Amino acid sequence: MSDLIKTFLDQKDQLWQALLQHLEISMIALLIAVMIAVPLAIWATHHPKVAETLLQITSVLQTIPSLALLGLLIPLVGIGSVPAVIALVIYALLPIFQNTYVGIDEIDPSLEEAADAFGMRPIQKLFRVELPIAMPVIISGIRTAMVLIVGTATLAALIGAGGLGNFILLGINRNDTSLILIGAISSALLAIILSALIRLLQRMSLKNMLISVGVLIAAIAGGVGVQSLSKPVEQITVAGKLGSEPDILINMYKDLIEQDNPKVKVQLKSNFGETSFLFNALKAHRIDIYPEFSGTVLETLVKDDSTKKLSEQGTYLKAKKLISQQGRMTYLEPMNYENTFGIAVKRSFAAKYHLKTISDLSAIQDKLHGGMSLEFINRKDGMVGIKKAYNLDFPIKSMQPSLRYEAIKKNDINICDAYTTDSQLRQLDLVTLQDDKHVFPPYQGAPLMNDDFAGKHSKVVDSLNKLKGKITAKQMQEMNYEVNVQKKSAAGVAKTYLVQHGLLKAGE
Amino acid sequence: MAQPMIEFRHVKKDFNGQTTIKDLNFTIDQGELFVLVGTSGSGKTTTLKMINQLFVQTDGDILFAGKRIKDYDLRTLRLDIGYVLQQIALFPTMTVRQNIGVILEMKKVPRKEINRRVDDLLEQVDLDPEKYRDRYPRELSGGEQQRIGIVRAMAAKPPVILFDEPFSALDPIVRTQLQDLVVELHQKVKSTIVFVTHDMDEALKLGDRIGIMSHGDLLQVDTPEEIAQHPANEFVEDFFASTVGKNIYETPVDKIMRTGFSVSAPEQIDSPVQVRSNDVLEDVFSKLSNTPIVEVLDAKGQQHVGWIDRKAIISYLSETKH
Repeated sequence: MSDLIKTFLDQKDQLWQALLQHLEISMIALLIAVMIAVPLAIWATHHPKVAETLLQITSVLQTIPSLALLGLLIPLVGIGSVPAVIALVIYALLPIFQNTYVGIDEIDPSLEEAADAFGMRPIQKLFRVELPIAMPVIISGIRTAMVLIVGTATLAALIGAGGLGNFILLGINRNDTSLILIGAISSALLAIILSALIRLLQRMSLKNMLISVGVLIAAIAGGVGVQSLSKPVEQITVAGKLGSEPDILINMYKDLIEQDNPKVKVQLKSNFGETSFLFNALKAHRIDIYPEFSGTVLETLVKDDSTKKLSEQGTYLKAKKLISQQGRMTYLEPMNYENTFGIAVKRSFAAKYHLKTISDLSAIQDKLHGGMSLEFINRKDGMVGIKKAYNLDFPIKSMQPSLRYEAIKKNDINICDAYTTDSQLRQLDLVTLQDDKHVFPPYQGAPLMNDDFAGKHSKVVDSLNKLKGKITAKQMQEMNYEVNVQKKSAAGVAKTYLVQHGLLKAGE
Repeated sequence: MAQPMIEFRHVKKDFNGQTTIKDLNFTIDQGELFVLVGTSGSGKTTTLKMINQLFVQTDGDILFAGKRIKDYDLRTLRLDIGYVLQQIALFPTMTVRQNIGVILEMKKVPRKEINRRVDDLLEQVDLDPEKYRDRYPRELSGGEQQRIGIVRAMAAKPPVILFDEPFSALDPIVRTQLQDLVVELHQKVKSTIVFVTHDMDEALKLGDRIGIMSHGDLLQVDTPEEIAQHPANEFVEDFFASTVGKNIYETPVDKIMRTGFSVSAPEQIDSPVQVRSNDVLEDVFSKLSNTPIVEVLDAKGQQHVGWIDRKAIISYLSETKH
């Protein structure tokens, strides 16, 4: 409990921001859904045959798993809040459409007859008779949709739309229950409060209701407007992958850039997603900079047919050359540490079976139970290459990166993949086995950006190049440990490092 | 002769290929309270709903104030025709005031004028405006609701008001009160009223003229007296006769007067025994047992209506069997 309160206090500002983001996405989605579903349902009441079809279509849309829907939208509209809003709108259509249709359809026919006989025009009948009578049913549909949206919006974090889902994802990633709880409780509270507000709306007359909704739209539009107006002279967006290490790095980027460029404001999008999200976001100029590893560039971001083993420096230079040719991107100077893949076992396990290298594993294959991240299992510079080079074959379950550490801790598995700078290696007393056949490429981190951005921002490039050759693997592991285990903030850890190493003036 | 308010000319109505009304011809005069009576399925409600075009005739013409109904703009026509429904159908989300004012508002009558007229109308149907104007329909009894239903139809002073079996769901005492109210209001506003009912007693009580319908045909259109005294055929005769035998003691004196069983004035009489038209036969029986003839006054006891004696009552009662 005290853990929870401490985390809450630490994260207050981020929580507030995430809450607003969550609210904004949810409200925009809800308003759009209402604007589509209500008129459609009104129209459908005059066309009962079409209504049946529409009802079925909206029901089918509802059954698409939200994760799949988000995934399907990425190739169409990219990442960020647009696909999130679209997906949420799609989910909200059914309850609103269904309730509006039923609410109007079930009005006592004698009331309709009276309205007709009194000479009401269809539009007068709609606003004076049908909508007021159906309103309680329509509102309850909107409430259902709203609760659905607020809940589903937590998944929006997966595609870089932010919101309270960030806390949950981050919590899972860092294996931090407090963060998960904060995200989940906030989202539930938000749903309850909004639900109560909508109930309040229900008591109003149709006119006041329309006025309130109008004010809400104006407020959102105004909020978006002010946001864009209040932007400083220049805003640079820096994003990072899931996890503590990218989070620490982008905080360093922010500190360095803002120190040298007082007119620039850096916006951070931490835990933005996996590699392909970030790369696509960069390509689409949705973000400006993100830290990437040289090995990842070569293996997944560019086409490279040669299979020659390269040195650290060779890998970096080749990555820089190919991404410049193929992606028109600038890859700045790398840092010192190397964060490559590793195969890890418990120190006690290694001692028992005399394990030092990956080759040593072939003798005890039948005793191995692996748990590895999906990405690692499928990469040719990952498990695919290892299996081939070392002629290994043992059962492996695919797991979320943070869960595999939990699993090895509980002895559910006895071997897992790891990044060499992961804090958990130290925390859980794991050792990485030496890659004696050099399957894992060298992975050095460096900022990646588009050529046109680099061209226009030479001062930013200079600032970032200050990290060249800095940060050893041990330092990185230590910083990761501070964030993941000691629950220090990534921003604080980043600042401390920069100040200690003379890269940032103290007291800023 | 003044132009009829409504005229049916060879009107035919089919529903899904089945003929409900074959060939309807009749007129309704200006200011008349015209009652259409018949059993269910006789086509009386269909006939009524063709006047405000809720149903459109399959063939033939309906004339409204001398002009073919098809030539009217539907909305203008309907704004000129009040409508009282069997289901009452007050709008549940509107207050009494809003319900009554709904047509006035559509006619763009100023708000102040609407409020004034709503209060005035409420008083005319004996509902205290202070108490009732801001209530919702669900807070009213069935009888109160239908009073609002009636004034809602009258609010815009339409030349024609249609009543579609408005009292059939109400209990007998409330029904009687509302029938009296309709007669009273009709005398005051002089609108043309077309009133549909399945209750012959109601028809005899209200109608200036009555149209008796059966299986889509109009059998006879006449005054209550002519229908009782000179029925056009056996069906009409039976339809009237069937009402005589029921609740003899409860039958109002008024019915005997309206159906033509009263007698002429005696040659001379000092201070005659008097009854009122809304008194029932039970009272008359006790009075006629002591005196040969009684004078009938109107419901308020002010105006002279006519005379009845023992013979008049006996010949009325003998109408039950032929």
